[in-house]
Amino acid sequence: MTDESTTARENATAAGDVDVDVDVAVAVVFGTFADEAPGAQSTPDAVFTLSDRPRDRADQARPRRSIRWTEWILGAGSLLAVAAFAWPFFVGAVPADAQVAVPIVAFALIPALIVALALILDREMYTAKTVALLGVLSAVGAAVRIAGAGAGGVEAVFVLLILAGRVYGARFGFLLGLLTISVSSMLWGGFGPWTPFQMFACGWVGAGAGLLPRWQNAAQRNSSGQRLRANLEIALLAAYGVVASYLFGLIMNLWFWPFAVGSGTGISYEATADPGTNLASFALYSLFTSTLTWDTVRAITTVVGIVLVGPAVLAALRRTKISPRS
Amino acid sequence: MFRLRLAPLRAAVVLAVSFVLLRVVYRVVFGGAGAGLGPVLLDLPKLRLDGPFSHITLLGPVTLAGLGNAAQSALPVAAVIVFFGLLNAVINVQALFARGAGRGPLRAISRSLVIAWATFPALLESVRRVRVARSLRGERSIASLLVPIFEQTIERALALAASMETRGFAATRVVTGVCEAPVVLRNAGLKFGAAPDKTGWHLDGLNVTLKPATLTVIVGATGSGKTSLLHSMSGLFQHFYDGTQQGHIDVAGADRACTPPRDTAGFVGLVAQNVRLGFAAETVHDEIGFALAVRNVAAPIVHARVLEVAARLKIEHLVDRPIEQLSAGEASLVAIAAALVNHPILLLVDEPLADLDTAARDRVCTVLGQLAHEAGVCVVIAEHNTREFATIADAWLQIRGSRLHQFSAEFSTTMTPGSDADSWGTTLPSSGSGPGIAAAAQGATRDIGAVPAVALASIRRLSVRHKTNLVVNDVSFEVQAGELVALRGSNGAGKSSLLRAIALPTAADTVIVGGHDARSLKRRTRRHAVALVPENFDDLLFAITVAEECRRADRTLREPNFRHASPAATDTDTERNTAALFAHLLGFNAPADAARLLQRHPRDLSAGERLCLVMAIQLAARPALLLVDEPTRGLDQVARALVSAALLTAAGAASAVIFATHDDDFAQDLATRTLRMQAGRLAAPIEVRS
Repeated sequence: MTDESTTARENATAAGDVDVDVDVAVAVVFGTFADEAPGAQSTPDAVFTLSDRPRDRADQARPRRSIRWTEWILGAGSLLAVAAFAWPFFVGAVPADAQVAVPIVAFALIPALIVALALILDREMYTAKTVALLGVLSAVGAAVRIAGAGAGGVEAVFVLLILAGRVYGARFGFLLGLLTISVSSMLWGGFGPWTPFQMFACGWVGAGAGLLPRWQNAAQRNSSGQRLRANLEIALLAAYGVVASYLFGLIMNLWFWPFAVGSGTGISYEATADPGTNLASFALYSLFTSTLTWDTVRAITTVVGIVLVGPAVLAALRRTKISPRS
Repeated sequence: MFRLRLAPLRAAVVLAVSFVLLRVVYRVVFGGAGAGLGPVLLDLPKLRLDGPFSHITLLGPVTLAGLGNAAQSALPVAAVIVFFGLLNAVINVQALFARGAGRGPLRAISRSLVIAWATFPALLESVRRVRVARSLRGERSIASLLVPIFEQTIERALALAASMETRGFAATRVVTGVCEAPVVLRNAGLKFGAAPDKTGWHLDGLNVTLKPATLTVIVGATGSGKTSLLHSMSGLFQHFYDGTQQGHIDVAGADRACTPPRDTAGFVGLVAQNVRLGFAAETVHDEIGFALAVRNVAAPIVHARVLEVAARLKIEHLVDRPIEQLSAGEASLVAIAAALVNHPILLLVDEPLADLDTAARDRVCTVLGQLAHEAGVCVVIAEHNTREFATIADAWLQIRGSRLHQFSAEFSTTMTPGSDADSWGTTLPSSGSGPGIAAAAQGATRDIGAVPAVALASIRRLSVRHKTNLVVNDVSFEVQAGELVALRGSNGAGKSSLLRAIALPTAADTVIVGGHDARSLKRRTRRHAVALVPENFDDLLFAITVAEECRRADRTLREPNFRHASPAATDTDTERNTAALFAHLLGFNAPADAARLLQRHPRDLSAGERLCLVMAIQLAARPALLLVDEPTRGLDQVARALVSAALLTAAGAASAVIFATHDDDFAQDLATRTLRMQAGRLAAPIEVRS
């Protein structure tokens, strides 16, 4: 931990004044602790949401720098992973004799990225409370996922990922998505080349919920204002749930599309065709495969779940505070 | 690492077959199944799309060769799926992760996975429990199922985290302890948060020095801060529960304010309140050795130390047992062993006797006494069952208000048991003058002869079977209106099973209440005949505020053909029905006095208040027969007075109460009759209180 944080500090100081602009950008993209901590000080209401970092606030200077450095790695890793997901669209840009290698590279890149990001997050998550919460919540997630598969493919696991990501932040949400997939794969023995892709996609769902905007108007202290705000939050999370459900379906279709359809049909993937044609083919494939069916079911389940149990689950999670390793 | 499990292979085969079929469907729909020269099976019309999709043609002729080609082209991917199914069938991935837990660069994630794995049995158990609770409350909503399960899961996570933290998980530096001064508190103060919080709880002027080889008991009312004081020594108060410490607290030479619990795991042992929640491993062996394993101690040394500690507590026979197969008493001993594995200078024990029957209590007390007086450990216990420790305690710390009073052993043997019995008499009238207390006074003088002879409820030949065990064996008895029946018996005698079977009968004609067979009643109407407050009464709560919980309870009662004829009256009357009852049970004169409590989260209430809330919810249905399982578990004298008054209120008029309890005083004080259970049978004859 110590050597990493010193290198991080050196990097941060070396970056100099560029650091400032960059920090804002990162804060927007990846909801940092540093972004949340001042919020905790300014909003009395946020005591339960954000003051879960007392030690972080006590000595902000040092952890801030090192944590921002990991934001960069996480952001870059995710971008790289998105590129690997979208490999069918990159094949055309590669020299012809290297095109065969593209899917292989994509398939190797995703697990490697999972391991790399897990290694980085592992250091930060190494406190008893975080580990215990991650463990039991991923067990709940896996149980929900498997129970849902038994009940005709009704996927309710997003409800948990979104609510937990919202309360505990992007990294926790990401790790929870990752672990939920591992635990459920372990449980029914479903490990395969598809597992890392599922891990990333679920991780993003949780992380995205952690990046949603938090409003910080401290003025409304009366109960009706609080109720309005609580309802707004549920509405926001439900809307995010719909978006996440469809995006999840799209991105999971994307990497598998060439394998699922094979060659010789109208919507087949053509490495040599222009991107527009491929995009149209993919759109039709995705619409036919999951968007109209599974993804819609998932979106409805998520919205219903968030509306029904959201307030109580958010309250339960917020009564538990976690602090980052300091 | 290797094992054979056929389920993954079967799943993979199903997946592979559906993959092949899906590929065929794609070819047919998107015009790719017409290749080859074979006969045309289906001549579907071709549909050409427009716009950006102009290169796509739907449907078209389908030939046998086309279908064959489609299926054949899918085979490589299908083969990959089956191959991975085969791998999953033979490789135990879980064992791979278990190896990484505790060491290596992925130790946090691996440990999370191990915890997740160990959580599944608890999760299934919790689903089962909550489903029972839900039908007890007459609820059907999905929130009433998911929220309590979720709360239990979070509770488990926190207990687990605390237990891992105190056993050195994620420790970064080694602090060495000094044996001479296990605990020194100088001008110490404890509180939560910078500003006074809602409850305003705080402790001031703490000056305590504890010596090695002594046993100290912390006593005080529920909510007085016994556990917080104990955890100010374990470090969880400052570093885990976000409490604020003032002054000095030194534990074996380490400054508690800046030393987190994980760094003092080498010389401070903690046995938590609910030991089962804190178990982090799957077998007793791994559980006892956990504190060593997280420090990367070599496996043979861990094994030797585990056996040594087990021998000391005489629990060698448990070492190979899976953790979930322990009885309550055994679980306590295993938790003590796990706390002792590092040879602590200071052993902190939080309410070790709450769940135990008399035999197990004696065993645990003896063990704790021996540790202090023979092994030289400084033992500190927070407990309100003071009598058991009267002979072995060297000192008593009593919390009164925000102050701590210290008594020596000599003083305590004369004073504490006496004050215990005394406070039972004195705190009851002095703790409040609400209607509940008035009812208590009435109930105490009620004459048994006045009870009408018509049976309110009769239990006929009731039996309950768990798998092959007969836990309740052919029990029959009758209950008269106005009776308060105490159900007594040791752990595992079948008390809880009997109560649950009365509340949710599975066989016809076994439970007759007010002339109706309870089995034939619907879920909601059955609550007007018989209602149960289970031992885990928190399972019945699932709203965010007490007020909402009460409204919810009122709403489930507001069904057609029930009591209130005009809708206008329904609104005003039942609106505050449960809330008013709740206030009444707590001894408030008017519901408005309880308004402060109504805005709180149900789980932020004290244990006694929560129990009253659940009793209010169950009593709002005006059941003829109210059943309460272990109403005094973990409650102090004041809260017990509250509960006993509430039970007397419930037993008024045309209803009766049956409660199961381990608490002698409570049962003797309250019960008009005692039923004894032993090994699933009612011990005849039924003794009538004189």
